[in-house]
Amino acid sequence: MNTIMKTQIAIRPCTRIYLLLVVLTVVTFAVGYFELLSGNRALFLSLLVLGFALIKGQLIGDFFMGLKGVRGPWRFVILLWLLIPGTLITIAFTLAG
Amino acid sequence: MSATLTAAPPVRYPPGDLAIWIFILAELAVFAIFFASYAFARMGDVAMFNEYQATLDKGAALINTLALITSSYFVVRAIAAIREDQPKTSVRWLLAALAMGALFLVVKSAEYAHHFGEGVRLSSNTFYMFYLSLTFFHFLHVVLGMVIPAAVALKTHQGAYSASEHTGMETGGVYWHMVDLVWLILFPLVYVMR
Repeated sequence: MNTIMKTQIAIRPCTRIYLLLVVLTVVTFAVGYFELLSGNRALFLSLLVLGFALIKGQLIGDFFMGLKGVRGPWRFVILLWLLIPGTLITIAFTLAG
Repeated sequence: MSATLTAAPPVRYPPGDLAIWIFILAELAVFAIFFASYAFARMGDVAMFNEYQATLDKGAALINTLALITSSYFVVRAIAAIREDQPKTSVRWLLAALAMGALFLVVKSAEYAHHFGEGVRLSSNTFYMFYLSLTFFHFLHVVLGMVIPAAVALKTHQGAYSASEHTGMETGGVYWHMVDLVWLILFPLVYVMR
């Protein structure tokens, strides 16, 4: 009984996270599909969708991979991975203008 | 009642076998190098990258992203079901996750067929070299990732997992989530950002 209740409690946040992932994905698609990435705002919007991707990645790590309930260095392993390519991509796109 | 509402105490190690996490970190490191290489190579000819990026099918990429996210969610539900000692429900969620993985492979294969039909090759230009190698490397991970849930579903059907012992399922699950995680960066980087 306790196991079932705990699982049900855990499932609800995962369902909300799933819906948030879908929304952020559709927004990312819309930015590309409607060709909003032109002119002065191209860099800003590019980095914005990259930010969405990093947030989505952290949500996957925390809630789907189960790192939210982990303490110590493993708690931050996905966040660290996201920040390394995320920072390098940001630098490259910013320098490219 | 109050005990069930109390959050589980933090644990020292992530779910699944620790070895899979070491393997995942190695895989993620390779993809990180790929992503950074793409971004810095793009600096050399931004106009060319933007021109050929426009030839990619963003609708197909959207379908594939939603397929992988949904598949990951189904794996979460499969693990939740086995924690409730419901193996049949767990198998159904795993099969649904596999169906989403298969959808990804079909859509991606159609994209490749279209590009190859247009004469696109690895040697066509730097953008297509990165596009084809990055996405095909990920494609292979999806194929491998589908073998794992299929094996887990079979073992679950055979009664190998229960509420008290399901480390194998969690191990397969975190690998599948890694495949999803990589695509979540690849999608905006290759298809959208310019």
